[in-house]
Amino acid sequence: MAALDDISTQRRDPPDGEEDKSLQDLLNAEGKNIKSLVCQRCQCKVLRPNLGQHVQKELFLPHMKKKSEQQGAMDGETLKEFWVVDDMYTFENVGFTNTVNDIKYLICADCEVGPIGWHDLSKKKEFYIALDRVHHI
Amino acid sequence: MAKTYDFLFKLLLIGDSGVGKTCVLFRFSEDAFNSTFISTIGIDFKIRTIELDGKKIKLQIWDTAGQERFRTITTAYYRGAMGIMLVYDITNEKSFDNIKKWIRNIEEHASADVEKMILGNKCDMEDRRTVTKERGEQLAIEYGIKFMETSAKASVNVEEAFITLARDIKGKMDKKMESSPNPRNQGVKVVDTQSKKSSGFSWKCNIL
Repeated sequence: MAALDDISTQRRDPPDGEEDKSLQDLLNAEGKNIKSLVCQRCQCKVLRPNLGQHVQKELFLPHMKKKSEQQGAMDGETLKEFWVVDDMYTFENVGFTNTVNDIKYLICADCEVGPIGWHDLSKKKEFYIALDRVHHI
Repeated sequence: MAKTYDFLFKLLLIGDSGVGKTCVLFRFSEDAFNSTFISTIGIDFKIRTIELDGKKIKLQIWDTAGQERFRTITTAYYRGAMGIMLVYDITNEKSFDNIKKWIRNIEEHASADVEKMILGNKCDMEDRRTVTKERGEQLAIEYGIKFMETSAKASVNVEEAFITLARDIKGKMDKKMESSPNPRNQGVKVVDTQSKKSSGFSWKCNIL
């Protein structure tokens, strides 16, 4: 969505090996994200700096890519590092899947790669993005 | 936390099945990628951020996701909608004829002042076109609404269409606020994020 992004975001290609340093490099003193969160695949901006709070929490997310022919749709991994926001409109661009067992999964709004995050409908003010599933630039 | 936007617009995509509404909403990016998991459960809505006249606008965009097949598009779906994209496929005559039916459905179920726009979409090839651009324009003139042809596959006009619709909604709201200093809630949420440094409040939020 080039034109909308041109207005609302500035796409920058991260220099190779520069992004995704250690956790400490991503946090400010209050535990907020110093950098923007962007899609790993298409660089679409998901969240602006200082809007996400870092939390450690164990959440299961299905894989973003099918790793083998035997892999089922629900195969995935438990992730532990997340950014959380309390209002879905805090996101710059994001997609929500249909609901499965009270959970909506978050995806890239442009290329639809995902899940990059997680929302439990019973917790109205918690929208999680997995650190491992976005780039920080 | 202070709101990070000035306006929030709820937009709907309406039209026959198979006209590429999903293209319009879900395929801005030509190299869209669906994992097995995402394509299995499907996508509900998207949030996008645009800027108009220095104001930050959040768009929440919904697709009917096949409900139109069961004629279940009623008041509940339209509730709170401020803009509607009426989509037909330029290679599908029937979908064009049905735009009139959709407009009647909107008149019946949606808020009277919802902004509308007609999109002639071409997910398919130009050589299969059966509805001329002129007929699309003529229909739009008949109903007094805007018209564009889009190619979701090539991302042609898709962004422009959403920006145009958002601009029209904002224009209508600005006008309303001018004419009435104290407007009542009409499914429109305005959040004023103007910083008021002189007062004790750094953020002031108004829900009109």
